[in-house]
Amino acid sequence: MSVSMPQKRYYRQRAHSNPMADHTFEYPVCPEDMDWSQLYPEFFSDHQSTKKAAQVEFADIGCGYGGLLVELSPLFPNQLILGLEIRVKVSDYVQDRIRSLRAAETGSYQNIACLRSNAMKYLPNFFSKGQGLVYTNTDVEEVHLWMVKHFSEHLLFTRVPDAELVDDVIISRLGTCTEEGKKVQRNGGKNYLAVFRRVEDQN
Amino acid sequence: MAALGACGEWLVSTYEKKLIAVHTKKSREPFVFDCSAAEQKPKDTEADNKSDGSEETGSDKILAFAISSSAKLVALTDDTKRLVLFRCEPSWQVISTRWVVRRCTSLVFTEAEDEVWAADKSGDVYSFSVVEPQKTGELKLGHLSMLLSMTLTPNDKYVITADRDEKIRVSHLRSPHNIQAFCLGHLEFVSSLLAPPGHPQWLLSGSGDGTMKLWEYESGRRLQSWDLKQLRDMPNSDTGKEKRSAVSRIAGSPGGHHVAVQCERVPSVQLFGMEQGTEERLVPSSRVTLPHCPLDLTFDPQGRLWVMLDSRETPFLMYTHTQDSWQCDSESPELKSVTEALRPHWEALQVSAGLESQFQHLYKANFDNMASYREKKQQRLQQQNEHGGKKKRGPGKGQQSNGDSKKAKKGNQSGSVPKASS
Repeated sequence: MSVSMPQKRYYRQRAHSNPMADHTFEYPVCPEDMDWSQLYPEFFSDHQSTKKAAQVEFADIGCGYGGLLVELSPLFPNQLILGLEIRVKVSDYVQDRIRSLRAAETGSYQNIACLRSNAMKYLPNFFSKGQGLVYTNTDVEEVHLWMVKHFSEHLLFTRVPDAELVDDVIISRLGTCTEEGKKVQRNGGKNYLAVFRRVEDQN
Repeated sequence: MAALGACGEWLVSTYEKKLIAVHTKKSREPFVFDCSAAEQKPKDTEADNKSDGSEETGSDKILAFAISSSAKLVALTDDTKRLVLFRCEPSWQVISTRWVVRRCTSLVFTEAEDEVWAADKSGDVYSFSVVEPQKTGELKLGHLSMLLSMTLTPNDKYVITADRDEKIRVSHLRSPHNIQAFCLGHLEFVSSLLAPPGHPQWLLSGSGDGTMKLWEYESGRRLQSWDLKQLRDMPNSDTGKEKRSAVSRIAGSPGGHHVAVQCERVPSVQLFGMEQGTEERLVPSSRVTLPHCPLDLTFDPQGRLWVMLDSRETPFLMYTHTQDSWQCDSESPELKSVTEALRPHWEALQVSAGLESQFQHLYKANFDNMASYREKKQQRLQQQNEHGGKKKRGPGKGQQSNGDSKKAKKGNQSGSVPKASS
C-alpha cells in the first residue's frame, strides 16, 4: 500500500508557539531511556546488531516542514538526523512526509525522523552532553547579531571563522532547502550565517 | 509558610511574616524580626513611572531562609522581595536589606560564607555578596522553569538546582554556565534537595512523585530510590486512596548517620540510617508518628531531631536517637524552655496554614494537544477515502503553490459530492 505525500495545506499552523506554556509532550525520563528504534527502525533492527549502536548526530531545532532533514538525509546516509518541532500540525506533517518518502524509496530516508517537543526545556532529556557545532541561520539581521553576541560571550563556544567553512556541505544548503529559506530567496532577502564550536571550559 | 532551622545553639523558626530565634540552652530573650515592620523599598522616580504592575505590594511573608555553616549568619527572603542578612553573634543584628527581582524559593550560603545564593520563581539564580552587604545581586544561571530547591556541594564546588520540570542541574559554582550533569529520574517537580553531611559525593532529592532518590551528583548517576508512600502503607491498607504527597523536607544529621524525610500533610517522619557493607547504603530505619502534621523539621548540632507542628499546644517536639529507635523527649528542659519562649509569639499568630498544601499547584495539568488534532485528521482522511478513486496528485519533494491546491480542492468537491449521495 502506497503512502501518499501529505499536503501542506492541511498542516498549516502559525509560526509562534509559547514554549513556556505547559503543553503536554512525551519525553523520556533520561537519555538512556529513549527508544530511538521507534524513529529509526532500520538502524535498530536485528541484522544491525553487529554494528555500533547508532546515535543521533544532527539535531534540527525547530525543523519546520522538514526541508533541511530531507535535503541532508542522502548526504549523511549512515548518520541519524533528528528534527525537533514544537507545533502539533507541523511536526505531524514532517512525520507523515518521512513515512511517505520511506515508502516511495526503499532504504532511503531511514536516517531522518521528527519529534514533537520543546527543545528549550527537554533537550537534556533526549541527549547527553556532547561536543560539536552549532549552525545558526536567519534572514533577520537583528536576530543574527543577537545570536552572535550571546554565543560569542558564552565561555563554552567560539565562532568558527568563515575560512574554515568553505568546504562545509551543510551551510550551502541551510538557506535554500527550508520553506523559510525559499521564501527569503523569493523576496530577495539575505541569509546571515554563523557557526559556533563547543569548547572546553577554561577553568 | 513555616520553616525551622538550627543555628548553633539557637533554634530559628519562621512563621508567616516573622523570624523567631530561641536559645536552646540559656534563657535569653528570643530574637524576633517582623517583615511587616521592615525597611520599605525606597521609591525611585523610574519605578513610579512604570505601569506594568511590577510595584504591587508583597505580603511580607517569609518564603525562605538560610543559615551559614558556622552559624554566624542568617538570611531570609520574603514575599515583598526583600533579602535580609543578619549576624547572630555576639547578638542578632540586621546587616543589610536588599531587593530581589522576583520572589525567591530557596536561599543558601556558600561554605566560605562570602556569598548567599538565591533561586527565584522565574528560574534564575543570583549571588549576593556577604562581604559587601549592600552590593546588588549578580545573575549566575537560569532554568526554564520555576526553581524549587537549591544546594551547594562541599568546598563550594558545585551548585545544584531543582525545578518544576523534574530537572536537577549540577553546575560549576565558579563558572555556572558550565553544566556538569543533570540528575534525571523524577516524574514530577523536585521539591527538596540535600547534600548530606559526611557523604561528599551524594545528593538526596525529594519530589512531587512521592519518591526520594540518592544520586552521585557529579556523574548524574542514580544510586537508590524510595517510594515514601510505599514505606508508609500497611500491607493490607487501601493503596491509591491517599492523595499524592510531595516530599517537603529532607534533613541530614550533622554526623552523617541519619536522614529524616517529611511529606506534606502526612503526620509522620520517615527516618533513614546508614548500613555498612562493601558499599555504604542508606536504608529506611524507622517511622515516627506525630500527633499533627509537621510544618518543618531539622537536626540540631547534637544530632537531635526537632519537629515543628501545626499546633498551638505543642508547637515543637524533639526526638533523640537511642540504641535503635527515635524517642520523643517530651520532658527535656530544652524543649520546655524553647516552647515557653516561643509561646507568646506563637499564640499571636494565626496557626492554620499547615492544612493547605504548598505543592498541589505545582502539579501540571495535562492538556493533550494531539488528541483533538488527531481526531480531526482521522475524520479528514476518512472523508478523503470515501470520495476515493480520485487520488490527489503527490507533489514529491518540492512544494505545491497555494493557488494550485485551492483549485484542486474545489474541483474534487464538485465532482465527488453527487457520487457520495448516490
